Amino acid sequence: MSVIHVDGLHKTFQTKRKAAGFGGSLRALWKPDLQTVEAVREISFQMEQGELLGFIGPNGAGKSTTIKILTGILHPTSGTASVLGFVPWQERQKLAYQIGTVFGQRPQLWYHLPAVDTFYLFGKIYEMEERKLRQRIGFLSEAFEIEHLLETPVRKLSLGQRMRCEVAASLLHKPRLLLLDEPSIGLDVVAKQRIRETIRHMNEAEGVGVLLTSHDAGDIEALCKRVIIINHGEIIYQDKVSALKRHYLTSKQVDVRYSHPLDPNFSIPGVQMLKVGTFGAKLQFDVRETPVERVMTALASAGSLVDVTVSDPSLEEVIRTIYES
Amino acid sequence: MRAEPAVSTTSARTKFRAQYWAKYGAVLRTQLQNSFAYPLDLLARSMMILLFMWVFVNLWRVTYSAMGSGEIAGLTLANTMWYLLMAEAVMLSKRDLSKDISDQVKDGSVAYLLNKPFNFILYHFAAGLGDSLLVFVTNALLGGALVWWLVGPPPGWLGWAAAMVAALLALLLDFCFSALIGLAAFVAEEVSAFRWIYQKFLLVLGGLLIPLDFFPEWLQNFSRALPFAWIVYGPARLFVDPSAERLADVLLHQLGWLGATGVCVALLYRWVVGQLTINGG
Repeated sequence: MSVIHVDGLHKTFQTKRKAAGFGGSLRALWKPDLQTVEAVREISFQMEQGELLGFIGPNGAGKSTTIKILTGILHPTSGTASVLGFVPWQERQKLAYQIGTVFGQRPQLWYHLPAVDTFYLFGKIYEMEERKLRQRIGFLSEAFEIEHLLETPVRKLSLGQRMRCEVAASLLHKPRLLLLDEPSIGLDVVAKQRIRETIRHMNEAEGVGVLLTSHDAGDIEALCKRVIIINHGEIIYQDKVSALKRHYLTSKQVDVRYSHPLDPNFSIPGVQMLKVGTFGAKLQFDVRETPVERVMTALASAGSLVDVTVSDPSLEEVIRTIYES
Repeated sequence: MRAEPAVSTTSARTKFRAQYWAKYGAVLRTQLQNSFAYPLDLLARSMMILLFMWVFVNLWRVTYSAMGSGEIAGLTLANTMWYLLMAEAVMLSKRDLSKDISDQVKDGSVAYLLNKPFNFILYHFAAGLGDSLLVFVTNALLGGALVWWLVGPPPGWLGWAAAMVAALLALLLDFCFSALIGLAAFVAEEVSAFRWIYQKFLLVLGGLLIPLDFFPEWLQNFSRALPFAWIVYGPARLFVDPSAERLADVLLHQLGWLGATGVCVALLYRWVVGQLTINGG
């Protein structure tokens, strides 16, 4: 059963442009230069009950606008959408009882109060019974490992701790669908990993569907089975994550550092040496042609390793590859 | 197919009303808790009224002695001071909702408020009232103590009782005007100019600067025909000179303007919510 059904959704809005300087300001007053921006262009997709769907694209691609249309905050210019059977922008309040949202760049917890105070407020807002609310807070604080954080004012929490509390707050009323807009933005590697684990745990434990936007391909790779890539407001790819990995996440970049000077002519067959320095090197290879294991063995045999970082291609590179193909 | 309600309690229509309104009580309570988070800040905000009242007492003492009369337009120095105390207590405690809404539109946090199951306007009113009540009480107590010490005791309990009802309606009326200005931010984003104009109307035509009784008759009539007088002048004048006739006059004007502005707020909200563009995507 599909929980989200989007058909030909289109959103345009107008922005004012102004030339630099005082003259530009005066001209803008007299004759404003209005530019129409197509934030979302005729997109169509579906999401199934309990699915973990990734919605990725670079900054300004239209991800957040799409999420805000799906929550009913923004009205589309044309097209139709149905979320859990509701038309979001016509039945926003009814839909609000069924969905949870997190906008990673903006807090929903009251900044000066402990998170638990916001939890109790949300319980009232979602009209939950006191007993059920207490049980739910207990369950979520255990699942998200935030018991020790609940009574600390939100302003004193680290970004990673705050994000765990934010996601827990959005799940208080047991929504059937969770819309997460950049939940991992600004987090370090460890905090990102914990957020990903808790999202996956809640998806498995309660069957809550998750639509996750990110500009970090790693989020999608770690969490989602299916992915939609959006760029300049258009869907340029939608398929299983395994297919995306097979076709486009095939190259790996490795940064390596040694405790002793490296041979300037150091190379590995099938691997492109991007840079070879005195104590380290940067290299890139295609996993379909050169297995990771072979590269790692060659790197380890070249000397005493101090540090190794393996990274995937950036989302921009993936999009460029999709366009090129 | 529509999903079953995620929260079982919402399905019961009989519970709906009580629970629906309870959420605004919870918002008010949470805002009160929030105001207590920084007690020193709360106290510092209330210190302002001490400075204002001290300046007013000294200014008006000079004016009354220059006039050589114990009364101006039927008000003694003590009456004028208690009038100004009530006017300032209302004005200094009211939350600037238009700025709240405008900031939320500018930084995009309005997104969180629009996708919660409550009425955006009522939420703001509950939060604003939670903030204002505490500040109003501290302002009235601190400022009242100073004015009592400087010019003598306050009006009787009848004045307090009547003024409290009128002050609550005044905060509600001010809220409606602030909401109208704030909602304009959904389209215009920057509304500080409208806010400035509104504040100046309250200052001059509302009776915050001086009681309207001191104006020439034509200006008094003009001011009374506008809503601003019923936000400041009405409760403050009722405070120093309570009577059934004056109470009825103030409440009728306040309720009339509340009805008119309330309809405007509801209509404007319905229109602007469809025009919203969230900054930052």
